[in-house]
Amino acid sequence: MLLHLILKDLKIEMRSKEIIASMFIFGLSVTLIFALAFQVAPVMIHTFAPGLLWVVILFTSVLGLNRLFSLEREEHALWSWVTAPVDRGLVYIAKVISALIFVLISVILFIIPFFIFLNLPTEFSFFQFGLILLLGTGSIGCLISGITLQAGLRDVLIPILLFPSASPVAIAATKCTGFLFENKPLTTWNFWLLILASFFVIFSLFGYLVFNKIVEE
Amino acid sequence: MTFFNKKENRIHAALAILLSVINIYIIITLKPPNQAQGIFGNIFYIHVPIAWSAFLLYFAVMVCGIFFLIKKSIIWDHRGLAFAEIGTIFMFLVLTTGPIWAKPAWGHYWPWEPRLTTSLILFLIFLGYFMLREFGGNPEQVSRFAAVVGILAFLDVPLIFLSVKFWLPEMQSHPQVGQYFDSASPTPTYLVLYSFLSLLVIASLMIRFRINILTMKDEE
Repeated sequence: MLLHLILKDLKIEMRSKEIIASMFIFGLSVTLIFALAFQVAPVMIHTFAPGLLWVVILFTSVLGLNRLFSLEREEHALWSWVTAPVDRGLVYIAKVISALIFVLISVILFIIPFFIFLNLPTEFSFFQFGLILLLGTGSIGCLISGITLQAGLRDVLIPILLFPSASPVAIAATKCTGFLFENKPLTTWNFWLLILASFFVIFSLFGYLVFNKIVEE
Repeated sequence: MTFFNKKENRIHAALAILLSVINIYIIITLKPPNQAQGIFGNIFYIHVPIAWSAFLLYFAVMVCGIFFLIKKSIIWDHRGLAFAEIGTIFMFLVLTTGPIWAKPAWGHYWPWEPRLTTSLILFLIFLGYFMLREFGGNPEQVSRFAAVVGILAFLDVPLIFLSVKFWLPEMQSHPQVGQYFDSASPTPTYLVLYSFLSLLVIASLMIRFRINILTMKDEE
């Protein structure tokens, strides 16, 4: 059932390509603006890069995932799966996983121009970078899913509620990425990775637990 | 029947005024404990108890949220909203008195100190909470979702505190607070506790007043 719910989102996206395309293009344009705005001091950009990366990821996630969830609001599709004979927590998990897939695809797409435009060195472990991206975007995805699955919630409220709640994630993810870009050994910053992982666990469990309460009528 | 027609409410209000007048008098006339900070050092007796009360009130918002989600009784929603409103007023005071104290103590108004930063982020989350209450749409859904935001906000507190603490390891967590809690002279400790008590009396009066109004609005 979980697989069906995820495949449904992926199938819609395969046909329209709306979410990933808009996230990719938006991420690209924000990167461009950053590259132009910070061109005055190219040395500085290496210190700023981890922060910029996560700002771009947060912005694009809000933009794209809002669309992913507003799909459910059209023609009250939300109610059809609320009444379906499945555990509602499963529905939440399916949404989180498809949100994660979308964010990761678009991040992978715009991260290449991000590194090229900002002239960043790429000598670091891609496995660790992938792990950070997975945990960071996972926590953000859980939070957005929890906030946005509220049918009828105004769009403007999503960033207002998300950005302050996601600030610990932003701190931990930026720290991890910063250490990684400086090529510090994993042992010196592994506790940041653990903090990030604990956010992921806490936010996903929280979403899973309260989701039943949010949607019931 | 208005709120202050009841005798116990009038006593509560009188007690709140009496306790806080004494509290303010003590704080103003007290000899500053730290000569370097001058009279600003005394802001400790108001800043720290307000911060405790604010966090306590936000904790109460979380408890009300949990009860609302379980029992689905509207009274828990009213309680949660009242706690959130008064908690936000207190949090605003924390964010005002904090920089006033930080200037003489640290030399600049906004040190990115873990507790102050946690308070700011919590304050921002609760501004979003009120936006949600105001513009969220369907009132029944809004109550449920506000309860979730209230729980999430307080769950965020330890996370924010820990990450800000590690984020700037060179920034000490309030070294000034420790100097007041000295076992050799327990007077400051008692004064802080007294100040905390008087603030709690004020807060409880405000909350009861607010719940009263919300319930009346419901009955209309």
